[in-house]
Amino acid sequence: MLKKSFFGGKIEQEVIEKMKRHIEFLCSAFETFKTAMVNQDKELMSSVSDLEREGDIVRREIASSIYEGAFLPFLRPNICKFVEIVDDAFDVVEDAALEYTDVELDDKIKDDCAKIADMNLKMCEMLLIAFESLLSGEDLREKTLAIRIYEKKIDEIKFDLIKKLRAKEVKRFWEGKILSDFIFYLTNISDLIEDASDYLQIINVSLR
Amino acid sequence: MTQPIPIIACGLIALGIGSNDTSNALGICIGCEIIKFKRAVLLFWLFVWIGIILQGGKVMRTVGKELLEINLHILSIALLISAILIIISNWKKLPVSTHQVIIGSLTGSGIASGMDVNYISLLEIILSWVISPLGALFLSLMLYRVMEKTLSKLPLLQIERILRVLLLISGVLIAYNTGANELATVLGPVIHSGLIDQMRASLVGPFFVFLGAVLLSHRVIETIGKGITALDPYSGFAAQFGAGTCVLLFTSLGMPVSTTYCIIGGISGVGLLKGIRTVRFELIKKIAITWVVAPFLAFLICFAVTKVLL
Repeated sequence: MLKKSFFGGKIEQEVIEKMKRHIEFLCSAFETFKTAMVNQDKELMSSVSDLEREGDIVRREIASSIYEGAFLPFLRPNICKFVEIVDDAFDVVEDAALEYTDVELDDKIKDDCAKIADMNLKMCEMLLIAFESLLSGEDLREKTLAIRIYEKKIDEIKFDLIKKLRAKEVKRFWEGKILSDFIFYLTNISDLIEDASDYLQIINVSLR
Repeated sequence: MTQPIPIIACGLIALGIGSNDTSNALGICIGCEIIKFKRAVLLFWLFVWIGIILQGGKVMRTVGKELLEINLHILSIALLISAILIIISNWKKLPVSTHQVIIGSLTGSGIASGMDVNYISLLEIILSWVISPLGALFLSLMLYRVMEKTLSKLPLLQIERILRVLLLISGVLIAYNTGANELATVLGPVIHSGLIDQMRASLVGPFFVFLGAVLLSHRVIETIGKGITALDPYSGFAAQFGAGTCVLLFTSLGMPVSTTYCIIGGISGVGLLKGIRTVRFELIKKIAITWVVAPFLAFLICFAVTKVLL
């Protein structure tokens, strides 16, 4: 008991390492997604699912460590929520990758999608920086602000994309459905990363 | 015939202290899973014992010798009625202070039987009841401010680790105070009336507290410990340590003060710092009413019973 109180924190350190790995996997998934989309490489795009599976394994390990007693109970719900949101981002990027294998993107919307994919990656990298700042005790505000700015930019592109989609002639139901779903998933990622950064702030202030 | 009554009453009150005050001391630590229940109870027992051995004497002297001249009849009536009132208030979940009930009962019974009551000592005790929660409020407020300027600047993981240690230290401090102040208030009259010697009482008393903790405290800890930690361990520490320090100061002066009321003062202090709207004044009003009513009720019942019986 005393050993854990005075010298402990090993299990907490392990959870922190795993959370960092979880976000790094997410960054890799976004990078893979972006590269595959720019190069129109459908084979590379399928490896996003592999990264999502890796992320799932890490998430389960984190949940199990927290169940074993890592962190004060007061912190646990917010840490779990943060990990769940990162996992949701994994699921959505995987869905977007799956839709991409069947979607037909014309030049009018391809550029916008590439911009969003690039900004999703930058947001995720910023989330990783924010997470590292949380651990080192630095101020998170600038990082979360940067994430919010990216999210706003993506929102602007999204509204533009929706207008373009509405103007587009759809010949088959599934063509329209797949394109609509692809855009929905692609633009939804930024909301999740913003939510995750908000939870980082909540975790940061919860013990102060 | 009446000789075992005060001893039995003391045992019952000590059981009540064990059942309720373990949560005051280590409820947060158990809720935060810093320490398991069984170990917490053993640690509580150890520090209650250390408290009564090292510093219990002063409070015992104030209550048992300086307040009024005690005889067996006064003691039997006062402690028996105190035990009944404490058990009823525990059952009804009212935050009644053991000190207030015992002092109220002893004074009521003493005045009714025509004994000399040291009103200066009584006034000092009543003043300490007023000052101690306010002192705890101020100390917790100051401590929270210091924590904001020091602990809060550290990285999260470090704060988490330091907070675990601090919560354990403050829990141990409250356990120490339970022995040095609360249990000393209960045992003071029986020791100074010569019913039991101080060394034996200092061994038996903590054992009854331990029994109460083992047999009856589990549910209280489950609700209070988890409830408080679900709120905020950071503020919880500031409130508990501020209260613990305040009780320790009053113990050094030999004044019997309530840990529970000091913790309430500490929580209010942290609440005031976080914003006046976070303080539930309705609840504080109810607690304040109990604070006034409990010693008066104990006084009146003991006064009436003593008048009828003697």
